[in-house]
This record gives sequence, structure tokens and C-alpha cells, in this order.
Amino acid sequence: MNGIDWVSFLLVAGAALISSCAVVALYALGLRMLSTAGKAPHVTPAEFTDAITIVTPTEAAAEAKRIKKAAARSPLTPWQKRLALFVAYTCFVICGLVVLFGIYLIVPALHEH
Amino acid sequence: MRPPGSPRTRQASRARYSRKTSVDFTLIVVLVIVLALFFDFTNGFHDTANAMATPIATGAMRPKIAVALAAVLNLVGAFLSTEVAKTISNGLIKEGGGGVQITPTMILAGLVGAIIWNLVTWLFGLPSSSSHALFGGLIGAAIVGAGFASVDYLVLLDKVIFPALLSPVIAGFVAFCSTRLAYAITRRYDRLPDGRAGFRFAQIFSSSLVALAHGTNDAQKTMGVITLVLISAGALAPGSNPPVLVITACALAIAVGTYTGGWRIIRTLGKGLTDVKPAQGFAAETSTAATILASSHLGFALSTTQVASGSVIGSGLGRRGSSVRWGTAGRIGLGWLMTLPASAVVGAMAAFIGLLGVVGVVIDLVVAVGVIVLIFAISKRNQVSARNAFQGVNEVAESGRVVKIRKVKPKKARGQAA
Repeated sequence: MNGIDWVSFLLVAGAALISSCAVVALYALGLRMLSTAGKAPHVTPAEFTDAITIVTPTEAAAEAKRIKKAAARSPLTPWQKRLALFVAYTCFVICGLVVLFGIYLIVPALHEH
Repeated sequence: MRPPGSPRTRQASRARYSRKTSVDFTLIVVLVIVLALFFDFTNGFHDTANAMATPIATGAMRPKIAVALAAVLNLVGAFLSTEVAKTISNGLIKEGGGGVQITPTMILAGLVGAIIWNLVTWLFGLPSSSSHALFGGLIGAAIVGAGFASVDYLVLLDKVIFPALLSPVIAGFVAFCSTRLAYAITRRYDRLPDGRAGFRFAQIFSSSLVALAHGTNDAQKTMGVITLVLISAGALAPGSNPPVLVITACALAIAVGTYTGGWRIIRTLGKGLTDVKPAQGFAAETSTAATILASSHLGFALSTTQVASGSVIGSGLGRRGSSVRWGTAGRIGLGWLMTLPASAVVGAMAAFIGLLGVVGVVIDLVVAVGVIVLIFAISKRNQVSARNAFQGVNEVAESGRVVKIRKVKPKKARGQAA
């Protein structure tokens, strides 16, 4: 066997591109819908690796409050908010399933008999 | 007094001789196993960064927790599959009929080359492929032991060189597209919070997937080497699977290496190439995981390290307002180019000394241990650990640590600057 197997190379590139973009787009859409529904997540870094931006717990709490307040100014009706939340959670669930599929691919005992 | 040529003494001396050679033989087998496990340790140590550099850089996980998680997943991953365990020397070095008999001494020399090159790249903080180092070391040893004809250069080109050139390109492109998409979807123009900090949570899962995939692949290389040595020593039947003890030992070695964490490489990947933000980090990890899984299932083997570095660069290009430090990227590329020949040269030298027999093996080991100790001694001069992996990258950050500059409160009620 000489030369690169270009077919399998393109196959790998295409599969990686599609699956990665799908997962990222789904999760991003989920976050977008959460913030649209006025529930933007606030995740403070576990550790401030960049020594300049050190946020004390008080500051973090203030930030969370500010975000909540800003998000509450959403122009959506309650039903629209509920719909957005539903879409958001659906996206996260699909993302979780894709991760499970990834684990299925990693563990040979699951897909080989 | 019997004359020296009498049957009894001849028998006795033969018995003594054969016992002696068998002791020597098991000694070298034990040495190869110890070195293989140490290589496994450096492999885990080197590759923690692939999975955990970006979540540590964005603060998704505390550094110690991140490396502990990676270690556990590598440990679990090592038990999950033994598929690739024997691919390490198959094909690349011609074996069997008309080919070379790979001796334990040659494997020992190859391992010395791989370990030393892994530690040198770690000292310079360069993410480089551990499998290339292992291939290089074995190739160098095979050339000395059996001549230039013993290596199948076409296979080498197809299976190692071309994938090495292509993997960062694929991963970079995938990560670029993913990053663009992540930012485009979450971008808001109405000054309401965009929730991008939520990507931090997802990073825990995406990086775990990379760590698990790494565990199923990389621990097996060492298992393959140890099994090969045991087969060549006659302790195992040809074609048998790695024994449970070997699997356990390799899994533990790679897990301990991962937990120790090559903080210099984590620093390079997490902060040296580009400043990673949560959305970008998630996109980079997802593309790393997707590329590795696609490559291992569709039969175009790619190196985890090169995929991970390519992803980080691609995501740096994909985020608006971020820049990629091409100087660092160039140094990493140079490291990749040198990995194969450099470890081959070290492996060849070790194999050359090993030709002297037992004395040569002893010299090899003494020199190798000396070099390893020297590298660790040099590394003590500016120690990089979980505590300071991302500090001291620039002087401003360092001064920030000293004078405790407070973050200026943002005036707008906009979300986090994530």
C-alpha cells in the first residue's frame, strides 16, 4: 500500500468537522436560548489562572445579581420564555447523548461483539 | 584432582553457563519492562496538557482537580481496550521471514531514545508526540542493529510523516469553524448577558472525553512493547494478548504520569499559543475529541498531541480579537519535525553502545539515568507547577499578583467578559 489514503483522510476530516460543529452549535444554541429566556448561566472560574482578574466571592455575587437583573429585562412573553427554555434543555440533552455516543465509540466492548 | 576436560566438570560448567545466560536474559527483560513503564509515565506526563490545558486556562476546573480527573480517566481508559496494543512494531520494522529479529537490547535502546526526547521536549515546554518519540527510538535502534534496510520507509512516510503534517491542519480547521459557530450563535447585540461563561461547565465534559480517548490509545503502546519483549523472551506465546498484570502496571504508570502533570506543556498549550476563553476552549476540546474519534474509527491514525495543538491554534484564529503567537507555534512545529530524527539518533547511539553486550547495556542505563537526573536538575531552576503554571507568563500578570490589582467594575450591565 503506497501513498496516503486520501479517501479515508477526507472522510476523517469531514466526520470530525460535522460532528464537532454539530456539538458546539447545539450547546451554543442551548446557552443562547437560556440567555434569551432570561436565565443566562453564571459560572465563576474555579481558579484565576490569569493573576490580574481576581474576583472575590462578593464581587462574583454582585456580578451574578447584575446579570440576573439585566436578564430580567427580557422582552419575551412567559410562553415564549418557556419555549426558549424547552429548546435550551432539548439542546443540552442532545449534547449529552452525543457525549454518550462518544464514550460508546471509545469503549470497544460496547460496539464490538 | 580431575583433569579439566572430564565429562562431569564440562556438564557442571555448561549448567552454570546456561543458568548465567538465562539470568542475564531475564535481567534485560526486567530492565526493558522498567524502562517501558517509565516511558509510559513520561507519556502521561507529556500528554496531560492535550486534554487539560484549556479547561485549566479558562478556570473551568482547579488545576489539581483537572489533572486528577485526567489521571482517573487515563487509568480507566487503559483497561477499556487492548486493540492497538500490538500495532507498535507491526509493519514499521520488518519482522519475521527475511526481516529482523528484534532483540530486547534494541527495544531497550529505542525506549532510552524515546524517554530522553520526551523529557527534553518537556523541559522546553513543547507538546510533542510521545508515539513519534517511541517510533523514532525504535527505528534508530533497528537501523543500528539491523541496517538501513530494516525500516520500511514508505510505511514510515504514510503512517507517521504525512499524518503528522495533516493532523494539525484538520484539527485547526475543525476548531476554527467550531469556534466561529460558538461565538456567532451566542453573540448578542442587545447588551443582555450572553451566557458564554456556561461553556466552562461543558469544558469539563469535552476535556474528559479527550482524556478517556487518550487513555485507551496511549497506555496500549507501552503494553504492546512489554508484551513484545515477553514474547521474544519466550515468557508468552506469540500472538497472545497482554496479561492483566501488564495492563494494570501500564494503566497505573500512565495515570501517575498524568497526575504529576507536565505543567510546562500545560502552560504552553493553555496560554502560550493564544489566550483561551471558555467558548473557544470548549470548541477546541470538542474538535480534538471529534478528530481523534473519527481518525481512530475511520482508519487514518492521527497523533493526539498534534490534533490538540492544532485545535488550540485553530480556535485562536476563530475568535475575534484574539491572536495566535506564531513564534510559539513555530517552535512547536520545529519540535515535531525533530522528534523522529532526534529520538532516532539517541536510540541509535544507545543501540550502538548496546552492541557491546552486557557492559554496553549497563553503560546505556548509567548514561540514561544520568541524563534524566540532569534534565530534572535543570528543570528545578525554574520550576513550573500547578501553582504557577499560568503566572509569570508575562511580567504584568506577575506584578498583578504582587500588588493585587482589583478588577475595575464594568459600567455596563453586560454579561461576563467571557
